[in-house]
Amino acid sequence: MAAAAVQHLAGHEAVAARYRDVDRAYGETRDLRLLGFMFFLVSDCILFSSFIFAYVYLRVSAPTWPPIVDGHQLPWFDTSFAAMNSVVLFGSGVTMHFALENWKHLNTRKFNGWLIATIVLGIGFLLGQAHEYSVVNISWQGSTMGASFFTLTGMHGFHVFIGVCYLAILGIQANRGVYTSSKYFGLTAGTLYWHFVDVIWVALFSLFYLW
Amino acid sequence: MHAGTSTTHDAHDVHDHIHPPPEGFVRKYVFSLDHKVIGFQYFFTGLLIMFIAGSFAELVRLQLTDPKGAIMSHQAYNTMFTMHGTAMVWLVLIPLVTGALGNFVMPLQIGARDVAFPWLNMASFWILPLAALILFSSLLFGGPHAGWTEYPPISLADGTAGALWCAAIFTIGISSTMTGLNFMVTIMKMRAPGMTWTRMPLFVWATFATALMNMIATVALSAAVGALFLEHVFNVPFYDAARGGSAVLYEHMFWFYSHPAVYIFIIPAFGVVSEVIPTFSRKPIFGYKMIAFSSMAIAILAFTVWAHHMFPSGLAPWLQLPFMILTYAIGIPTGIKIFSWMATLWGGRIHFTTSMLYALGFLITFTFGGITGVFLASVPVDLHAHGTYFVVGHFHYVVAGGAVMGFLAAIPYWYPKATGRMLSERLGQLGFWLFFIGLNGTFLPMHWLGLEGMPRRYASYVDFAKAVPDAVFWNQFETAFSFLMMASIGLLAFNVIWSLRHGKVAGINPWGARTLEWTISSPPPYYNFKKVPEVYGRPYDFDKPLPYRNTDNELDAFPEYGKTVMPTPQPVGAGV
Repeated sequence: MAAAAVQHLAGHEAVAARYRDVDRAYGETRDLRLLGFMFFLVSDCILFSSFIFAYVYLRVSAPTWPPIVDGHQLPWFDTSFAAMNSVVLFGSGVTMHFALENWKHLNTRKFNGWLIATIVLGIGFLLGQAHEYSVVNISWQGSTMGASFFTLTGMHGFHVFIGVCYLAILGIQANRGVYTSSKYFGLTAGTLYWHFVDVIWVALFSLFYLW
Repeated sequence: MHAGTSTTHDAHDVHDHIHPPPEGFVRKYVFSLDHKVIGFQYFFTGLLIMFIAGSFAELVRLQLTDPKGAIMSHQAYNTMFTMHGTAMVWLVLIPLVTGALGNFVMPLQIGARDVAFPWLNMASFWILPLAALILFSSLLFGGPHAGWTEYPPISLADGTAGALWCAAIFTIGISSTMTGLNFMVTIMKMRAPGMTWTRMPLFVWATFATALMNMIATVALSAAVGALFLEHVFNVPFYDAARGGSAVLYEHMFWFYSHPAVYIFIIPAFGVVSEVIPTFSRKPIFGYKMIAFSSMAIAILAFTVWAHHMFPSGLAPWLQLPFMILTYAIGIPTGIKIFSWMATLWGGRIHFTTSMLYALGFLITFTFGGITGVFLASVPVDLHAHGTYFVVGHFHYVVAGGAVMGFLAAIPYWYPKATGRMLSERLGQLGFWLFFIGLNGTFLPMHWLGLEGMPRRYASYVDFAKAVPDAVFWNQFETAFSFLMMASIGLLAFNVIWSLRHGKVAGINPWGARTLEWTISSPPPYYNFKKVPEVYGRPYDFDKPLPYRNTDNELDAFPEYGKTVMPTPQPVGAGV
């Protein structure tokens, strides 16, 4: 037990040392890119926020919700399936965290395993969304509810799809030696992006399924 | 970068540059990564589109010389003023003040060799001609008709042309967002050692405030027009009231961007004026910090006032009041700037160069436009004046008399740095008087016509002309004067091209200005700074030696100030 803890701390120390010794030029470039990438995520977040604002506005100003189309009130969404699908997506956030940590600690095999798990969970979430789209009883063009739902979850699904492709490319690059244990900005960016997609889903799930 | 490591920067040389020297025509002039070349590209593209959009405005003015409509159908008239507004706002002003000026000047002023992401910068530029092509191609489908705001439900009748309009705005929005992001990172991370936030030139502060708004607000516009695009193409009900949508929702999303958009093109003009006035008054700028922070205050307040564009749209009264008060509040930071510039002029040794004339003209016309803006912020006045030419007059005083005047002040000021040649002062000053007289002649009568009730956006005004017989005269008067502005821009284009060959050789610092770009050769080499300069003071203290060390050129090459003696650098504090 104690030996394992010592080994664990030694691992951390090794990471910290590598971080200190990373050469200056790379450090400066990485800082620029990290800030730039964060700003990209901020602007992306505002894109989602704007559509969320549209959804909230339309919902609050509607006389009834779900809206009435052709004399029938539309059904509420089915929360239970979406909740399970959410767990899949949040789980992929956890596996991605482990993947990055293992890369920092030079466990390439474990990194590959966790990264593949993330990609599989991401694809699983997309399949779940496809299923949700096929069973949900509203249409994109039929109502403001459908318009907001399909536009927002569609945008989110597109982000997940891009994320899956991004992670796959990162995996290939990592195995080809593009990144080292001290120079892995691409992996950091991929992880940030993936967590961002998770966070957006928290908002969308709450607004469509819990509100 | 921080001050503690400044000594190690002596080891830096040009081989550390972020990208290698360009070779071949395409790399040098077409797909260039160099921020200066990209600035030129923005400048010439923007100027070209300005001619097109300006011609649309002249067609609009010619139509109004006759109350029945002189030259075109009502439908064509609607297309003309829609295209004029759209192209001027998104394809001319924003690319010129952020793309051209920001790109060329900002990295030089902070002592950087390029922006943070040169490749992204190049991509941002090349999106501009693409968006212009998409926008102008909508003319082949009859063109959009609903005005530059393209409010639904009217814009939903535009069909393919409306969808193309949305696509063009979405595309140019990507460019603006990326430029904003790029400039934010550049200013936050790449300032020369010793250049703390409160030692930055005021144009850099202005660019920072602009970049912040570009990055945050533009995406909201992308969402608004994105949803409009979906409604056009896939019939998705966001704005169609018949299916539960809301046209007012579009107005909210649109103005959440487009009010900051007005400040996106006015704040860089503030920055230009803050550089030009101290240089040609030979006095330290008055209230440096107040000017810098008021730019940020305007940028932040800009996000809280959008609904003042929507007072006639049936906004709830409890919402009208806070928006009215917040809009008044914007007058405070703006007034601080105006008074600071006036205090800078006070007792200064004023040199009436073309730049300075434009800056002084800016003070007059922008203040006038700002004051009519305060009128319009008041709900009762706005309800009366909103649909009239009063709004057109106010808006053009702010935009043509503010943003464009600021831009025109910048051209003669930085042209010597960019090309190594001076612009002709004689042509430039003639151009200023043409522009200034043309601007006032065109837009001043709009105020009283508007208050008498002349409705804006109408292709004919037969009834109004019966009620107010003067209206025809004043409209013809405006049309005549509007051609003076067109002539002035034509003169500028001629001057810019003619002076490339025939202008006087500028030298390093023709104006005796004090920001960092004036310490390197004109035009600057592709890497800008051979040695990374060190900064230990603000650039505006005209009575003191220049606050730079380690510059590429001997600073006593500036005869204006006699021999400059470098004081011992003071510690500048940690963490720049």
